Amino acid sequence: MARDVLWRRPAYLNTVAGKDISLPPSRILHGKWTNKERVLIFSSRGINFRTRHLMQDLRTMMPHAKADTKMDRKDKLFVINEVCEIKNCNKCLYFEAKKKQDLYMWISNSPHGPSAKFLVQNIHTLAELKLTGNCLKGSRPLLSFDPKFDKEPHYALLKELFIQTFSTPRYHPKSQPFVDHVFTFTIADNRIWFRNYQIIEEDGSLVEIGPRFVLNLMKIFQGSFGGPTLYENPDFRSPNMHRREMRLAAAAKVREKQMVKEMQKGKKTSAKEDLESDVTADVFLTPAEEKPADIQTEAPEPKVVKKKQKAYVKRRALICKYKENCI
Amino acid sequence: SLQEAFAAGLLKPGMNVLVDKPKKLVNNVEGLKQCLADFRKDLPWVERLDLTNLPAANIISQAEEKASAPAAGELDADDDFQREMFFYRQAQATILEAMPLLNRHSIATKRPEDYFAEMAKSDQHMQKIRKKLISKQMIMERSEKAKKLREQRKFGKKVQIEVIQKRQQEKKAMMSAVKKYQKGMTDKLEFLEGDQKMNKESSQGSKKAVNKKGPSAKRKYKDQKFGFGGKKSGKKWNTKESYNDVSGFRAKIAHGKGGKKGKGGKQNKRPGKSVRKKMKNRS
Repeated sequence: MARDVLWRRPAYLNTVAGKDISLPPSRILHGKWTNKERVLIFSSRGINFRTRHLMQDLRTMMPHAKADTKMDRKDKLFVINEVCEIKNCNKCLYFEAKKKQDLYMWISNSPHGPSAKFLVQNIHTLAELKLTGNCLKGSRPLLSFDPKFDKEPHYALLKELFIQTFSTPRYHPKSQPFVDHVFTFTIADNRIWFRNYQIIEEDGSLVEIGPRFVLNLMKIFQGSFGGPTLYENPDFRSPNMHRREMRLAAAAKVREKQMVKEMQKGKKTSAKEDLESDVTADVFLTPAEEKPADIQTEAPEPKVVKKKQKAYVKRRALICKYKENCI
Repeated sequence: SLQEAFAAGLLKPGMNVLVDKPKKLVNNVEGLKQCLADFRKDLPWVERLDLTNLPAANIISQAEEKASAPAAGELDADDDFQREMFFYRQAQATILEAMPLLNRHSIATKRPEDYFAEMAKSDQHMQKIRKKLISKQMIMERSEKAKKLREQRKFGKKVQIEVIQKRQQEKKAMMSAVKKYQKGMTDKLEFLEGDQKMNKESSQGSKKAVNKKGPSAKRKYKDQKFGFGGKKSGKKWNTKESYNDVSGFRAKIAHGKGGKKGKGGKQNKRPGKSVRKKMKNRS
């Protein structure tokens, strides 16, 4: 029976305090399930293990989700609408993997409503050992949004889409009536960051459960997987372009280095001018004024000297005599 | 298209480069709003459980009085810690706001003790997580211990080095003092006693009252004769000094006038033969 799925637990817990609890306890869900919201989660071919685990984690977190087989990428996207109709789902999360590297996520409201395409980055799944929280399978989440979602019309549309997709309907048969975890959607760096926290204490202590990912908005369409484009993200750079830019930057660096090297080589080997006559040598020459030649005919008078200066005086006298003799 | 323009006479002289028109990005605000209006389902809050709020106040940064940017402005997506704390606080604020609302709608948030149901992560997985956390803690503790040991060893080593250096310095000082004395530069022998005095004073300060006289005279004689090694047999030599040494000369004894011990010995003296005969004949 579908309801037995709800009470599945590890076998060693089957008896507690002597009571056999394999019988389901009385239903705490006293209410009728009115909000018929069903989400179809599936992917294209060529996804890697991380994406597969992410899909499984989302199905675990959302009891109102259904799975489907992989779709061939050759089919056009509007085929997805038909698949949704067959499965009786009115929302769809479609993961598309390209080049085995890039993951795109489509979120759409199936028959007529809007849809959006995102690039998914930084995926961490439930299985990571650093994400230590845990929650009931199928418990209803609280949704927490950044106030920036209300400021722009495209963000407001996305907010509505997220609310309708991710919130578990009340009294859903597979859901648990407790609220013990919270999804946060925050806008930072023009991207939407998704986190899932477990509520430990009611005063606000939290532990992260996972999964976590980052959505980079590409386009919003008016129809489901088609239709006129309502919004294009100006800051979006496709992963191909991104990779190309990195490669070009690296190439430019190498080329610059090579050019510098060549220039240096050229400088070393180029013929140098022989400088025999300095063209600028005359710049600082200032011709001095001609002085009249002063010829002394008479010897100068010897001064009255002290003892110390005898030698000096003698020497001077000698020099004068010598001059006289020459002249 | 360049050629057509040329034919029409539109081009000016000079270089005419064909430039792409800048890409026009669609932002159909009206369309978005219309779509939203068509699409939205006005469900009661209980169905949606959504809240929009800013993060709760950052207690830590308030305590440190850091006026950091995300309080008002943009969140830096590259600063990992700040970013994650921002998300955490946003979730916290949501919870704080939502609790009273949930209570009002009588939606439970805590499950009862005996409520067993499947969890999103299996018990096995949680065991793995627990083991990993424990092992991390152990590793940290071990590294802390190792660091402390290393520090201790370094410290111990330092102390050892200091002691050895002190000893070397003392030895050096002693040797230099001895040399000085030998060379006659100082005639004080204080350096010999210097250490001993210091030692004695420091170690025997308390024992002073107890051990005033040191070892007794008998002990000293015995030590001198039998103890502390060295040649004892060569102590009596007939050298010039010993011949000239007349310190052991007692004139009274030498001239026979001293008597043995004064008159103490007379008490035990034996009478002569004739007196003994008389005594014998009497008794």
